Amino acid sequence: MTMLKRELAALMDDPWQLALISYIPLLSIIGLWLLFSAGLPRQLPVAVVDLDQSQVSRALARQLQANPVTKPISYTDLASAVEAMQQADVYALLVLPHGFKRDLLTGESPTIDIRYNSQFLLVGKLLSSQLQASMADGLKPLAAIKQLAAGVPKAKVAVNLSPVSSQTTALFNRNNNYVGFLVPPVLIALLQLVAMMVFANSLNRELRWNTTSEWMALGVWKGIAAKMLFYTPLVLLHGGFILALIYLYLGLPIEGSIALLLVAQLIMLLAVWLMVLLIFFALKDSARVISFCTAMFAPAFAFMGVTFPTHEMPELAQWWRVIMPTSHYIETHVAIVSYGQGWLATLPQVASYWGYLLLLIPISFLAKKGFESTDDIAIATTQEES
Amino acid sequence: MSFLQLILAELKAILADKTIVLTVFGGVLFYAILYPLPYLNQVPTDQQLVVVDHDNSSLSRQLIRHADASAKIKVIAKLGSIDEAKSWIETGRAHGLLVIPADFRRDLILGRGVTLSYGGDASYFLIYSAVAEGLIAAGLDAGKNIQRLGLLAQGSGAQAADRSLDVVKLNSIPAFNPSLGYTPYIVPGLFLLILHQTLLIGTSILGASQWQQAGYWQQVSPLKLICGRMAAFMVIYSLLTSFYVGYCYYWYDVSLQASFSQVALLLLPFLLATTAAGIAFSSLFTRRDLPTQVLLLISMPILFVSGFVWPTALIPESVVAVSQVFPAVPGIMAMLELNQMGASWQSIMPQWLQLWAMVAIYFTFAYWGTKRRLTTVIDD
Repeated sequence: MTMLKRELAALMDDPWQLALISYIPLLSIIGLWLLFSAGLPRQLPVAVVDLDQSQVSRALARQLQANPVTKPISYTDLASAVEAMQQADVYALLVLPHGFKRDLLTGESPTIDIRYNSQFLLVGKLLSSQLQASMADGLKPLAAIKQLAAGVPKAKVAVNLSPVSSQTTALFNRNNNYVGFLVPPVLIALLQLVAMMVFANSLNRELRWNTTSEWMALGVWKGIAAKMLFYTPLVLLHGGFILALIYLYLGLPIEGSIALLLVAQLIMLLAVWLMVLLIFFALKDSARVISFCTAMFAPAFAFMGVTFPTHEMPELAQWWRVIMPTSHYIETHVAIVSYGQGWLATLPQVASYWGYLLLLIPISFLAKKGFESTDDIAIATTQEES
Repeated sequence: MSFLQLILAELKAILADKTIVLTVFGGVLFYAILYPLPYLNQVPTDQQLVVVDHDNSSLSRQLIRHADASAKIKVIAKLGSIDEAKSWIETGRAHGLLVIPADFRRDLILGRGVTLSYGGDASYFLIYSAVAEGLIAAGLDAGKNIQRLGLLAQGSGAQAADRSLDVVKLNSIPAFNPSLGYTPYIVPGLFLLILHQTLLIGTSILGASQWQQAGYWQQVSPLKLICGRMAAFMVIYSLLTSFYVGYCYYWYDVSLQASFSQVALLLLPFLLATTAAGIAFSSLFTRRDLPTQVLLLISMPILFVSGFVWPTALIPESVVAVSQVFPAVPGIMAMLELNQMGASWQSIMPQWLQLWAMVAIYFTFAYWGTKRRLTTVIDD
């Protein structure tokens, strides 16, 4: 209990640490959510160069206006459209060729050229499929008239046009919402960073004020346990805020229970604590501990496997992925949110954290060995600080 | 102390500080390998798919073979029911399913419409789109074959049949990143951000550790100190930037369109503005472990706001306006336009001038901050 009080006093004494567990994460969470708050890409600018200026080509251009994803912008010549594309003013370019209507009527097949900006991969791919769908839809009435004129009965026209229709269903995350897809992993990566910094700062504080012996007075493990006991609920509160924001306030669909997600977050935090402890006892220098932890945890988002599938990563990336607590967590997260996974099915996933327990061995070894020379290091750091 | 001596002293101070060396050299080299690592395979291929075939005809089997032949899809099992397929997806053994309805072949030959159903796990977008693309292509092909047979049976000529199947050709081609690969997409922007962040961290740690101690930095005027520090970091970062932009871009298959002189001319104000911003930022701190933490927190937002991951048009304008204070935001966009998308130099002039304005503004801040830090120490 006295140890917890000691942590509280330390926290109150350190304005940065106080900010780090109060308003900084809240601001970052809300900022990142604002960034993606549009959710569904809408009204993306597309350059349309209509070289035909016929009734048919104008009807097709209007088709783009009707598609919520695209916002057609007319250009009179190709050169200015290309320039707009290079400056990323528009994300795709559609050219209706000269003589388009004539070719259609005379039975030639004219070509509609579509270029999409694949340097912006996400937008480019989306526009490519949307533009093709819009064009195909817009051309159907033309083909239908052609068939009717050839004497095909009306009932058969639709089938003749597309004998195989396809129905594509997103099984989970039904309306393809980017908030539901991107925001949880981004915020979880942020939570891991905050957790890492909070804990590393708390440990570094003992070095900075040269209080390691006081901290260790009741034994190494009790000292560590006090810090864990103190900071876990605080950081978990932010984890809870993230979940509340996404699944309660924004009301995104969730199949499983939020309580289970919180338990999963708790285990992730414990794993983060163990990693930070190991780095701390190995390096024992405040700035270096922070730099090293930063280097380790900063790329965690890329390795979660949400944007790029896990099983497509090379072997080495898979190994690095196993080290990151967030990638264990995100699997549980997706399973609970999308598939409604229950308590029992979550247990084996929790077991995948077993590797982190191995960290206890080097930690206890380094912790025992390290603090004989603490005084020198502590003095050295205080000198640096003063 | 002459200016040259000052630069040498700065370089020595940077190299003697293990934390800075770890961040600047270690960070830049380590991230050059680590960050693109997950994306090395570029394009998701062979996504596991399960098929529920209620038809079991020659045509449905052909459709499955065609789907399997698509590079994006690998059919791993044929299952009896949709429920079974769903449990495969939930346990992660498969990422999508294809349902072929009963009487698929019969209906097609009779000229009735049929509907193929695809389902994919949209919790993972890239997998979902890969599965959907592959299946739609396979489905369309099967449909076309049947249509063609029908037309031929009705007595139209082979050429005319082909023509009436493709009323219009859609020629949809990716511009700029022709392979649709993931590293050419992520590397150019991300690497500039890494340079930006490590440079800021390096300068701020150096500043934060010096303000409260005595040393060569008090023997020169603030103006000279800033110039010397900027020169020293420019020496280091021109090497590191050459490694990133010159070698790593090439190594990771990034498309390169600008000339050397144009890229160098663009990177000059980018690096200068970042160094000046770092020095100005460093005057806010006296603790060596703080700047890294602040900069770490803002790195993810900068990446997402810079406009190549998530379109700028969809970000709230206030967020975009705030983001313009970071040199990385105009820097990344100008680099992408100039080097990856082949825009002309005139078209990136606004960003280039913005970067130079940042150099001036941050230099003023740096001067002001450094002067305050140095005079307060003398007062003590």
